Amino acid sequence: MSAVMKAPDVRDEYLASLAPDTNALAGAGSDWLNALRAEAAACVNSLPYPTTHDEEWRFTDFGLLRKTVFASAADISPEVSLTDIAPFVLPESAKSRLVFINGIYAPHLSAGANLPQGVVMSNLAAGLSSHDAVIRAHLAQQLNFHNEAFAALNTSHISDGALVLIAKDTVCPAPIHLLFIATGATADTPQASYPRCLIIAEAGSTCALIEDYVCLNSGVYFTDAVCEITIGENAVVEHTRLQRESHSAFHMAYGAVALARGSNYTAHNIAFGARISRHDLRITQNGEAAQCTLNGLALISGRQIADTHTVMDHAQPNGQSTQLHKCIADGGAHAVFNGKIFVRKDAQHTHAAQQSRNLLLSNKARIDTKPQLEIFADDVKCAHGATVSQLETEEMFYLNSRGLSPLTARNLLIYAFAEEIVDRIPVTSLVKQLSKTLSEQIMEHT
Amino acid sequence: MSTALEALINRPYEYGFVTDIESDAIPKGLSEDVIRLISKKKNEPDWLLEFRLSAYRHWLTMTEPVWANVSHAKIDYQDIIYYSAPKPKKKLASMDEVDPELLRTFEKLGVPMHERKMLANVAVDVIFDSVSVTTTYKEKLAEVGIIFCSFSEAVQHHPELVKQYLGSVVPSADNFFAALNSAVFTDGSFCYIPKNTKCPMDLSTYFRINNAESGQFERTLIIAEEGSHVSYLEGCTAPRFDTNQLHAAVVELVVLDNAEIKYSTVQNWYAGDENGVGGIYNFVTKRGLCKGVNSKISWTQVETGSAITWKYPSCVLLGDNSIGEFYSVALTNHHQQADTGTKMIHIGKNTRSRIVSKGISAGQSNNSYRGLVKVSAKADGARNYSQCDSMLIGSACGAHTFPYIEVMNSTAKVEHEASTSRIGEDQMFYFASRGIGGEEAVSMIINGFCKEVFNHLPMEFAVEATKLLGLKLEGSVG
Repeated sequence: MSAVMKAPDVRDEYLASLAPDTNALAGAGSDWLNALRAEAAACVNSLPYPTTHDEEWRFTDFGLLRKTVFASAADISPEVSLTDIAPFVLPESAKSRLVFINGIYAPHLSAGANLPQGVVMSNLAAGLSSHDAVIRAHLAQQLNFHNEAFAALNTSHISDGALVLIAKDTVCPAPIHLLFIATGATADTPQASYPRCLIIAEAGSTCALIEDYVCLNSGVYFTDAVCEITIGENAVVEHTRLQRESHSAFHMAYGAVALARGSNYTAHNIAFGARISRHDLRITQNGEAAQCTLNGLALISGRQIADTHTVMDHAQPNGQSTQLHKCIADGGAHAVFNGKIFVRKDAQHTHAAQQSRNLLLSNKARIDTKPQLEIFADDVKCAHGATVSQLETEEMFYLNSRGLSPLTARNLLIYAFAEEIVDRIPVTSLVKQLSKTLSEQIMEHT
Repeated sequence: MSTALEALINRPYEYGFVTDIESDAIPKGLSEDVIRLISKKKNEPDWLLEFRLSAYRHWLTMTEPVWANVSHAKIDYQDIIYYSAPKPKKKLASMDEVDPELLRTFEKLGVPMHERKMLANVAVDVIFDSVSVTTTYKEKLAEVGIIFCSFSEAVQHHPELVKQYLGSVVPSADNFFAALNSAVFTDGSFCYIPKNTKCPMDLSTYFRINNAESGQFERTLIIAEEGSHVSYLEGCTAPRFDTNQLHAAVVELVVLDNAEIKYSTVQNWYAGDENGVGGIYNFVTKRGLCKGVNSKISWTQVETGSAITWKYPSCVLLGDNSIGEFYSVALTNHHQQADTGTKMIHIGKNTRSRIVSKGISAGQSNNSYRGLVKVSAKADGARNYSQCDSMLIGSACGAHTFPYIEVMNSTAKVEHEASTSRIGEDQMFYFASRGIGGEEAVSMIINGFCKEVFNHLPMEFAVEATKLLGLKLEGSVG
């Protein structure tokens, strides 16, 4: 398949139409950034549009996106006030928040104060003047966009984004909230935005991040996001990612995480929203004894499609990874999970465990799961498990016998199934907020 | 890795010899003329020639699949002899008339034909290259109405059955290799179990590739009528050659109401030498259709040979309450590559399937499990349990798992688990401290690992398989 992807003359006109006008972007940054954007734009212009004929896209048909014409959101600057975003504000991050409206930095909504020295939290455009060298060394380095049309598309659009730098041995006391707000149906033409995050946690540092995609109004729009995280030796990063886009939106996201020796990365990936969403996460253990925990939850219904692809690449010895991904599909929804675990030749004594748990609540819903192991080292312990099932009749019976109505029992069981993941998020107010959303969503579909 | 053990792992292929019999082969290459020639030589009816030609025409439009986790040099399909048969001789009435050279070959292979015939109670339809040479127990089977013969004979004597079922499970355009097989298959086995008949013995076919450069295109068709039951054994050994030999077989099983087919395979074809030179390419399409209610298909396979194994014995669970089972041990050593697994397609209500797959990789080999469990929207109450375990021996091999789970019914229950482990120094130490030597310890661990699968093999095969694994793996742990 990769041979097909690289083949020339597969230029897709739709993709090409989304690529930025190179003249407009030229001069918007330094030479190296312009070169990077041009390179990415060239990829967009030469890569095919992914279809269900590609193994990696087999179950997720993004054909619908193709039928919609998008205007670049950068041209529209709607008025958004603090009151508008109040429902999404987290008290824990009251003074460590970056807000982006349709991918563009909104300083009047952001807040940054009392952060220790060594913590840089700013927008990428501003960061380019003060931290050019660091950004240049890391931007688009973790993520290989050469074979991924939508990652290339995002890269070709880089003009702003979130920049978080945690200096050596620095502990960031408050979780950093990166709030990406889509204004939804405020314009005549649906908008496309290209949020970008660059996170660098230097050796020995500790931080917690919340990458949050929300929407103010419902409506059709397209978010094409990329988040790159570099974690230094013995650094600890806890990353919560929330996708609560409008149910008519398209959400495409790439994550790339590089771990150095002894570092620790925990991710909580929650997907509630979007008509069609896809999250590609690639984690590489470049150093020995790195540790990784991935938690995932997709709760969808109606005609939603949620696709999660993760790659856990154990390249060095003594690494560990634990993954639990849960999907709940109701209505005519379609949940897809593909989790790859690679254990390279040198990665002896790796310990990897992966679980895919799926709840199929309706006969029109569909779940496709593919846990995948590729192991090239012998002294390792790897296991994966996958289940697809519905609510247990015994559990239902138990709750009914305790006087709970079938409906209440059902909702309770679904809630409990999902809550296991939500509960692991380290930010209390967020857990509360999500639990509320969770019960609302479950009730809504009964 | 200890040297003593290393010596054992490198044990040469025991069955590597070439029997010197005159072969009636046609020139290399493939064209419509070659297909017409094969069909003519086999005295086939027109509809079968048409079946071949339409498969061939479709094959021309297809490209060789590249998705499997294997790599090999490009196959030149014009460099293969598509028909090779020992020189036709007059029909033989008894075993005494069989070419003594041929008999010696079978003896070396241990085919139960003479004394062992009684002992093992096994009827053997021996495929020597592509033409069926002799069939035993035919009369005994005929008494209960069972037809067990070579495919060519079935075409001559039971054309209506062949015509009805040929290509009904694996259509001629199913995939690249199935289309190739449909165009050029030379012979194979045919088995028909009539209504409410329990086959009184295990049916067995020994395949043997003999003539150098002759691709083998076997075709097997087994039909189990309502309420019948049959256990079918397939075993393979092949002589040693340096040029890769392509083997693209098709096996079709049809099971009607309340019937059951148990299909067991022990595959030990030449795997190439320790440098990965030579060996058989084993690209097989095996599929069973549980057509009737309460029908059952059980695949059991022990795959130890071939340079490349690429096969996915599948069950299409069409009838309500039908059952599909797959038990597999795949062992790869040196430079062998195996990409094998199963497909369970749940279509009928309350269908059940069970997958137990054990992969063992040693040397520089790569062993992949690739499986599909699909529950279609109408398959209420479908149930699947899959387990695939891999064992790695040595640090240069690879083990891979690609399970596809596609569920479209909310009453379905699908479970899959996989684990990877190795024979560790601590385990070996434990055995040593109990006075059990390395070789024996490995054999015990492997047999324990594979026990769940071996339990499903018929007795004789289980014994053979246990020995085979021990033989193939001795010395790979240290």
